[in-house]
Amino acid sequence: MSNNRVSRRQFLSYTLTGVGGFMAAGMLMPMVRFAIDPVLQNHGGGDFVETSLKVADITEEPTKVDFTFEQLDAWYKSDVTNVAWVYKSGDKIIALSPVCKHLGCMVDWNADSGHPEQFFCPCHAGRYTKDGGNVAGTPPLGPLDEYDVQEKDGLLLIGPTKANTLVKK
Amino acid sequence: MYFNATDMTVFLTQKEFIDTAIVPLVSIDLAAEKIKQSGAEADFLLSLTGFIEQQFKGRLVVMPPFSYSVMYKNANMPQELEKQFHEAGFKHVFFLTCDHFWTALEGQVNVIWLPAIPLESMNKSVKSSILEDQLRQVVPKFSEKWSMI
Repeated sequence: MSNNRVSRRQFLSYTLTGVGGFMAAGMLMPMVRFAIDPVLQNHGGGDFVETSLKVADITEEPTKVDFTFEQLDAWYKSDVTNVAWVYKSGDKIIALSPVCKHLGCMVDWNADSGHPEQFFCPCHAGRYTKDGGNVAGTPPLGPLDEYDVQEKDGLLLIGPTKANTLVKK
Repeated sequence: MYFNATDMTVFLTQKEFIDTAIVPLVSIDLAAEKIKQSGAEADFLLSLTGFIEQQFKGRLVVMPPFSYSVMYKNANMPQELEKQFHEAGFKHVFFLTCDHFWTALEGQVNVIWLPAIPLESMNKSVKSSILEDQLRQVVPKFSEKWSMI
């Protein structure tokens, strides 16, 4: 047992290497973690929310669809219900955001008897055509936003909003 | 709009469009036999005003509720408040309440009295359809005043 004696010098250098190694690792680990962070991020199931509307039931007439998702504000978890106006244009499903581009009220389809087949904002009589284009001469300055849509098991999925792509400038 | 810094910044720049104030009048009755009802009323009124805010965000400001206990109920309060809101640039002021006391002021100020519907036992979808129904009761009163100018 004693033929392999560790000298004082060896013992000190082993100990110092060990401790130094730990310290270096302690500093490097978080840096490496930060560097590769984007790879490790959890993407979950995407930002698409399932609605109860069957894709087959969508018609040319815009209908109101509610969809609910969970939102976390700091420690406060709440269910947020959003609305979309969904209709079919040819084979394409279109989901428009109901938020008026003027000051953020909820627009309604066909609500103004003087201007049928248009989206109508009750607050300041803003109007939009069926594709979401703002009617000139009414307060809104831009077209309604559009939602990304997907289909899954015959049900409609609604994703994040994007700028309107239907209105031709 | 809610009464917070972000929305008030918008309000200051868009005064000609945001011309309506919604003031919830909430009674706080701490008597043991009334306290539950009082809580249900406050819950209902705040849910409803929140829903109104969502629908008419660009035209009105929902104020924080003016709450009072039975002792501090002051029959002149709405008129005086209304005057101050008018001075601040609000053309229309609506007081929403579940307290029957204020219906006596109808004709002097815009009081909208609503029967409190206990929301605590309802699930989300029933709750939102109830609120939608209630909103439909209130909207004509808004549009009536709005169309006058």
